[in-house]
Amino acid sequence: MNHLRLLEISNLSKSYGAVKAVDDVSIHINRGEIAGLIGPNGSGKSTFFDCSTGLGKPDTGTVKLDGQDITGWSLNRIAREGRMLRSFQKTVVFKALDIEENLVIAGQMFTFPSLLSTFGLGRMSRQRVAALRERARDLIKMAGLWEVRHLPAGNLSGGQQKLIQFASMLMPEPKIILLDEPMAGINPKIIERVVETIRYANKSLGVSFLVIEHNIDVVTSLCERVVVLDQGKKLVEGLPQDIIQDPRVREAYLGG
Amino acid sequence: MTLTETTQPIRKRDLRIPLAAILLVVALAAPFIGSRYVTHSLIIALIFMLPAHGLNLLVGYTGLLSLAQAAFFGIGAYTAGLLAVTYGTPFYVNLIAAGLVSGALALPLGIPALRLRSTSFVMCTLGFVIIGQAIAKNWVSLTRGDMGLSSIPKPYFSLGPWSYTVSGTTAFYYLALTIGVLGTLAVWAIVRSPAGRNMIAIRENETLAESVGIPTWRYKLIVFMLSAVFAGVGGSVYAHYLTVVSPLTFQMYYSTTMLIIVLGGGAGTISGVVFGSLLFVGLTEALRITPELRMIAYGFCLLILVFWFKKGFAPMINRFWGMIGGAK
Repeated sequence: MNHLRLLEISNLSKSYGAVKAVDDVSIHINRGEIAGLIGPNGSGKSTFFDCSTGLGKPDTGTVKLDGQDITGWSLNRIAREGRMLRSFQKTVVFKALDIEENLVIAGQMFTFPSLLSTFGLGRMSRQRVAALRERARDLIKMAGLWEVRHLPAGNLSGGQQKLIQFASMLMPEPKIILLDEPMAGINPKIIERVVETIRYANKSLGVSFLVIEHNIDVVTSLCERVVVLDQGKKLVEGLPQDIIQDPRVREAYLGG
Repeated sequence: MTLTETTQPIRKRDLRIPLAAILLVVALAAPFIGSRYVTHSLIIALIFMLPAHGLNLLVGYTGLLSLAQAAFFGIGAYTAGLLAVTYGTPFYVNLIAAGLVSGALALPLGIPALRLRSTSFVMCTLGFVIIGQAIAKNWVSLTRGDMGLSSIPKPYFSLGPWSYTVSGTTAFYYLALTIGVLGTLAVWAIVRSPAGRNMIAIRENETLAESVGIPTWRYKLIVFMLSAVFAGVGGSVYAHYLTVVSPLTFQMYYSTTMLIIVLGGGAGTISGVVFGSLLFVGLTEALRITPELRMIAYGFCLLILVFWFKKGFAPMINRFWGMIGGAK
């Protein structure tokens, strides 16, 4: 086993009926790396994400996190025990709850030792929640959302909601975060802030990333390595500047 | 949008504690203020408040619509009734056993039911009530079928040589009030715990809750069992109060009544359920003055509820509570 490799996904395949959404794709993420996953619409990126994070079950293939085989684990177990978190394109925050509650919820299952202990109201339990609140406030400040922390998250702009989601994922000190189009539909100012936050989490907190993103500027500035999917298959893999020059990638995007 | 808390709430006199004290005094003095009939109605309200509290955990906090409460209510009533009639066990033993049996039976019922999605889950829980009634009718050797269990003894407590039998409406009222208060405190503790926050997360967005590590399925199963415990406890009080339990205890009308209490009072709030149970039992009793029009008037009240009080009475209660609390 290569100890450099934090996440190793091998020969993953997933079909829906006759359609092979993901066809024998292998991707690995090294420790401390920010990797990108790009490809035209319908190339299987999201399905690949779902099958790697437990939201869907792959037909074949294995997912190894930190040397441990986590294939077939549920989404919540991968998050809780593997500390591998993922974001969603659309579902971003608990809209009716305020930002602080959003973040406290995101940290709870990592602080309490068991499901039954979450029913406790004793001193231990209160201290744990107080510590979570403390951490939540730090992250809210970092995300620049301090003034609005008591507003329902659904009242905020799409970009702010993405920041909340991002801050939520940092609550449990994750090993790796998989981001599904974090920049989609948000304004350029916030894009800047999300990019900064990702860099900060990567450098200062040691979180590795796999990012699906269509914004090619973001990909080239953020990612050290890029994997391109096309029609469910891995097309190429390499440095971002090489990838955008690659004729095969251009053909895939422009339609061959 | 950056709305900051610019205005500190202007604090008037906080009237919440005096009001709570007054409510407590009224609750304690009720049997002496009202007639025996009022006391009886309050007992019924307190009995139905328990399964409604349990249902509120499911519907209001976890976001699962269930019609199975009457089934667990019936199971609790039969458990308590059978224990009391057959073994003559004291009231608190019957009450605890009723809660435990209902909660335990919710496990094998909940495992398949909770695999179903929204509407299918509702239909499945509806089935539990019907199955419960069929079993109560047909397992004659245990339940005495349609005859039901009669002459269930009045609740009695015994501890060593000391024993006390709760006879009379007033005494029973205080028993029901005590259990009602304890039940309300129990729900309060559950929803204030971190688990309560996780339940709300599941209600708000199940997939998102999963993604932050919350084992949603296990939580739903536990809450389903907890709701059955509350229903079972309510059923045991019911059995001891009416002293009769029949297959009619398993009826859809009870499930809908409990649901109306929760939705009408305000799903996801504790005060709403307390208020709702008083209001709806009060309403059904009040409508007895026009026996012919009773159900029609009841239906009409429900229509008013859905059109004008979409979130039940909870927002009104909260506003009032905030007002007397001195907040702006």
